[in-house]
Amino acid sequence: MSGLLAQLRHFARSAWLGLRSSPLPSVLAVATLAVSLFLAGLFALLLSNMSGILDRFGREVRLTAYVEPGLGAEAERELTARVGRLAGVEGAEWVTREQALERFRSRLGGDAALLEGLEENPLPASIEVDLAPSHHDAEGLARVSGSLAALPGVAEVSHGHAWVEGYARAVSLLRAAALGLGGVLALAALVIVTNTIRLTVYARRDEIDILMLVGATRTFVAIPFLLEGLIQGTLGGLLALGLLFGAFSAFGGSLQAAATFLLGHAEPVFLDAGACASLVAAGTGLGLVGSAVALLLGLRR
Amino acid sequence: MSAFGGDPARGGDALVRLFHVSKSYLAGTWALQDVSLELRKGQFAFLTGPSGAGKSTLMRLIFAAERPSEGQIIILGRNADRLRPAGIPALRRRIGVVFQDFKLLPRRTVEENVAVALDVVGVPHRQARARVFSMLKRVGLQHRRFHYPLTLSGGEQQRVAIARALVNEPEILLADEPTGNLDPELTLEIMELIAGVAARGTTVLVATHELGLVERFGKRTLRLEGGRIAADSAER
Repeated sequence: MSGLLAQLRHFARSAWLGLRSSPLPSVLAVATLAVSLFLAGLFALLLSNMSGILDRFGREVRLTAYVEPGLGAEAERELTARVGRLAGVEGAEWVTREQALERFRSRLGGDAALLEGLEENPLPASIEVDLAPSHHDAEGLARVSGSLAALPGVAEVSHGHAWVEGYARAVSLLRAAALGLGGVLALAALVIVTNTIRLTVYARRDEIDILMLVGATRTFVAIPFLLEGLIQGTLGGLLALGLLFGAFSAFGGSLQAAATFLLGHAEPVFLDAGACASLVAAGTGLGLVGSAVALLLGLRR
Repeated sequence: MSAFGGDPARGGDALVRLFHVSKSYLAGTWALQDVSLELRKGQFAFLTGPSGAGKSTLMRLIFAAERPSEGQIIILGRNADRLRPAGIPALRRRIGVVFQDFKLLPRRTVEENVAVALDVVGVPHRQARARVFSMLKRVGLQHRRFHYPLTLSGGEQQRVAIARALVNEPEILLADEPTGNLDPELTLEIMELIAGVAARGTTVLVATHELGLVERFGKRTLRLEGGRIAADSAER
């Protein structure tokens, strides 16, 4: 056990000496990782906020199915019950023609006198539909709309928020772009980290040769370099997180104003703890993989 | 020239046995050609010859940094040609190597430079420190253990390298031109130290082109010329 401790001590000291002896390449590797992860984090932040707006909208949205005229009260009640049993529907409320007129009257307020000239109630009966949480997105909305429209007795379906589908498409597109860009950024960071650590492997070739000479295994030689990669990656991840939080704090207020103007009430939120941890872990992983690849290339002989 | 026939695995008390070993780096040119030799336990031998005669190549073959192109090498009972890469570190822990350019870690103290040979085998820290101290005392450098190599003289640096090579109590010590960078006084000091190692039972092979040194010690001498053993004179 104490032999293992002696080796751990050696690994930690070697990694520390390695980082200290080549500060510029180390700083370069950390900065590259930080910038790449910052950009990836920015996309993640944007996406999580856009999806958040969509989720909030989904929770509020109600579909209205207008009933064909002359169906009759009994048929309308049966239709409401059928709608309530549809997949993705949490609740269905029957609104009679009279109730519809009453609501319209109360909404007009002081102008309700305008309706007094009407000889006949022009409004149709309708069924107001609440979506199940599993259908609080554009696809769910479209599915339930389709099911409602296909029911006999339903004249028209409206959700009054046609922009939601376009917005959802934009979010999907952005997600795909973020994934693609994230992949390219990760690859670029990996190449730079790999080359940086490869340079340090070459710069410390003499040290590696000496260790091999006294009977060190490849694993023994490799561990300090892997530790260096891990430390650089974690520092890069933490720095990216710090930059992201700084940018969010600085520009969050302006974003809130813009979002509120465009979408009504909207409050930008920072990444949750899981996403923050993932960002740092991505840095650690990239540093570790970068140094492993560098070692595979540098120690191959 | 000595040649050994029969079963390569049967070596008696021989720790190093080479059977018709040749080494070529380029097709058609030989760094070593048809070399056969045997080094017994505790034997002290010199390897001499002009530059390019193959002395360093022979050393590298013995500590498994190279594989022979032809022939077989038995080191400490292991056939070096059949040794898998994973088996090389275990073999090297039983062989100490010293070079002309010392090969010390400049950013590590004298103590750490010697301890690195114990770190790779996982000797506990306290035990390692005691062994390093005792080894530095043996080479007369215990008072310099916290110094860095570049603050030491050439002779002191070579003594650190010898301490590192010996701290694991190897069965074989290989020294490739160990005094090549030292003045005559220090050369003698280092050679006395190495001779003392052989006297304690370690097999020692010293490559050198300093014939005066070879004459002075009067040990077995293998002379390499053009990659072949031209002479093998016994100890006087």
